[in-house]
Amino acid sequence: MIGIFLCDDDNGVRLRIQAALERKIFIEGWDMAVACSADGPRSLLKAIEGKEPEHGIYFLDVDLKDENWDGFLLGKEIRRLDPHAVLVYITGYGDLAYKTFQYHLEAFDYIVKDQDLLEGAVCRCLEDVWMRLAEEKRVREEIFTLRAGDVLRHIPVKDILFFESASVSHHVLLHTANSWVDFLGSLNELEKQLGERFIRVHRSYLAAADKIDEVDLKRGVLRIRGRECPVSRAGKALIRQKRGGVL
Amino acid sequence: MMSLTYWLLSFWDTLAGHMIVVFYLFVVMNERVTLRRLKKAPALLLSPLAATALAFAMSLVGMEDRAKYTIISCVILLLCTLWLTWAWRICFWRAFSAVCMAGILQTSTSAVVQVIFSLIPGYSFLSYITAYLGLALACRFVFNLLNKLRFGVYFNLLLEDKANLRQTTALLFWLEMSMDMFLMLAGGVEEDYMTLYSVLVVVLEALMVWMVVYLARRFDDQRKLQVQRDTIAQQQLYEQKLEEIRREVRAFRHDYKNLLAGLAQQAGEGDLDALCAALSRLDADFDRRLGEKIQASTQIGNLRIPQVRSLLLGKLAHMGEKGVEYRLEALYPIESVEMDVWDLVRCLGILADNAEEAALETERPWVEIIVLAQGGGAYFRIANSWNGKGEPDKFWEEGYSSKGPGRGTGLDSYRNILKKYPQTVSSTSWSSGAFMQELTIGGRP
Repeated sequence: MIGIFLCDDDNGVRLRIQAALERKIFIEGWDMAVACSADGPRSLLKAIEGKEPEHGIYFLDVDLKDENWDGFLLGKEIRRLDPHAVLVYITGYGDLAYKTFQYHLEAFDYIVKDQDLLEGAVCRCLEDVWMRLAEEKRVREEIFTLRAGDVLRHIPVKDILFFESASVSHHVLLHTANSWVDFLGSLNELEKQLGERFIRVHRSYLAAADKIDEVDLKRGVLRIRGRECPVSRAGKALIRQKRGGVL
Repeated sequence: MMSLTYWLLSFWDTLAGHMIVVFYLFVVMNERVTLRRLKKAPALLLSPLAATALAFAMSLVGMEDRAKYTIISCVILLLCTLWLTWAWRICFWRAFSAVCMAGILQTSTSAVVQVIFSLIPGYSFLSYITAYLGLALACRFVFNLLNKLRFGVYFNLLLEDKANLRQTTALLFWLEMSMDMFLMLAGGVEEDYMTLYSVLVVVLEALMVWMVVYLARRFDDQRKLQVQRDTIAQQQLYEQKLEEIRREVRAFRHDYKNLLAGLAQQAGEGDLDALCAALSRLDADFDRRLGEKIQASTQIGNLRIPQVRSLLLGKLAHMGEKGVEYRLEALYPIESVEMDVWDLVRCLGILADNAEEAALETERPWVEIIVLAQGGGAYFRIANSWNGKGEPDKFWEEGYSSKGPGRGTGLDSYRNILKKYPQTVSSTSWSSGAFMQELTIGGRP
C-alpha cells in the first residue's frame, strides 16, 4: 500500500484534491490510499516522524502560512525522513521558483490551483506517479549518492565511468558520459565502498570495470566510452586479472 | 681547463639557485608548499644539468664569461618556465612571468648572501656552509615577509589582467635581466663599495616588489570602480522595473474597476458561468501583467550581496538586449558566502558569459540562473541552451575554446579561483540541448 499525504491550509482546495485522488484510485483499483490529510506542516510531520520511511507520495502547498515552514523547507524535511518520497507541489500561478524546487528537492510535478482544471491535473499527475513507480519497480537501479554542500545528488551506478582524484586534496571528480561532479571524498574509501565493479587503474583513477573499451598500452591510457584516463602498470595487471587474462 | 671540483661546485650553485627559485615560486603564485606541488620537481634537475653542460661547452669554445652568463640565464629562465607550464599546468606567459619574478627575488637574495660572504674572511668549507645557512635564512625571511604583504595575491591579480599579460611578462623579463646584469657587475665593484652595492640591490628589489603591488592595486581599484559604475547603472535598471510595476498597477486598478462593475452586473443577472469565466480571466490577467514582474523583482531583491546583484543584473540585462530569454530564481535571501566576494563575482561572471555565448549559438537562446542560500552555504546553477558543438570534456583544458585557439573559455581561471576554496565544489553536466554549471560554496560538509 502506497500512502498519500496531503498538506494545504486551504481546506477547500485540499478536500477537492483528496476527493479527486480517492476517486481516481478507486476507478483504477490501485494499491494506494490517502494516509494523511493535514491542514498544516506540523500535523503532517507528526504523522510521518518516527516511522519507517514510507516511500510515500506527498502533495504539498508551496505557500504555507506557518512561520517556520514553507513549501521548500517542508519538502526538504520530508526528503530527509522519507528519502524516496515523491513530491508534488500545489501552487498558485506565478509565485514559485519552479526550477529551484525541481533541482533541489527533485520535485516530481506541480499542480496549479486553477478553478476548473484542478481535478484533471491531480488525476493526470497521479497517473504519471503510478507509471514512474511501476517503472522503478521493474528496473531496480543502484544509486550512488553524494553530497555537495547542502544538496544530495543521486547518480545511477551504471552511469559512472570513472572517479578521478582532483588536484585539490580531498576532492574527487566523478565522470559520467555527460557530466563531471566534484565532491569531497577519497578514492580509497570509494574503492572499498564500490567493491569489485570498479578497478583502481591508476593511483588517481578508479574506473568501472565493465565500461573499459580498450587499453592503449603504448600511451598508457584506457578508453572508457569515449573518454580517456591514464592506467598504471599495476592497473593493467588488475584489469588483466579481472578479465581472465584478456586485455 | 678547469677542474672537476669547479664544475661540481658550479652545478651545485645552479641547483641551489633553482631550489630557491622554486621556493619563491610558491610565494609568487600564492600557493601553499605541498608535496603534491613538488611531485614533478625532480624533472627540474634537467635545468641545472643543461645549464652546467652548456657552460662547459661554451668554455670549450672559449666564449667570453659575460656572454656565457647571459645566455645561461636565458636558458635557465626558459627551462624553468617550461617546467612550470608542465608541472603546475599554467599557461606559458603566466609561468614565464612567475619565473621572472622568482628569479628577481632569487637574485637579490644572492646579493644578500654575497654581503655575508664578504664579511667572512677566506674561502673555507666553513664559510661556504655559513653562506648557505645564511642564504636559507634569508630566503625564509623574504618568503615570510612577502607572504605577510600578500604579495602572491597581488601578483596573481596582476596576471589576471589578460589584456596586458604579455606586457607584464615583458616588463618582468627585462627587470629580471637587469637584475642579472647587476649581479654580473658585482665582479667589477671594488671591495670597499661591495656593501653599498649589495644594499643598492636589496633596495632595488624592494622597489620592484612595491611596484608590482602598486600596479596590482591600481588594477584592482580600476576594476572596483568599474563595478561601482555598473552597480549604479543596475540600480537604475531595477528602479525602472519598479516604476514599470507601479505604472502597471495604476493601469490595472483602472481596468479592475471596470471589470468589477461587469462582474457585479453578471452576478445581478445570476449568470454564474459567465461570472466564473470572468473571474479566472481576471486572475490570469493579473498574473500575466503583474505577478510575473513582481516575482522577478522579489527574486532580484533576494540577492543581498550588492556586487553579485549588480553582476547578475548586468549580465541578465545584456542577455535581454541580445534576445536571450532568461530566468532568475533566488528563493531565499542570500547575504553572504564563504568566499571572497570579488572571487565569487569573477566566477559567476565567467559562467554567465560562457552561458550567454553558448546560448546565442542556438536557435532559441535561453539562460537560467538559480541562486539558493541553504544551511549557511550557497548554491549557484547556471544553465543555458546548447547546440551540442564542441567537446565538453575539453572545455576545462587550459586555453581550449570551441572557436579555435586564443579564445579561452575562462574556465581555467574559474578553476584556479576555486582551488583556493577547498569547501567549494563544482559540477558540469550536459545533455543534447542544455549545458549546466553548478557551484556550491560552504554549507554543511
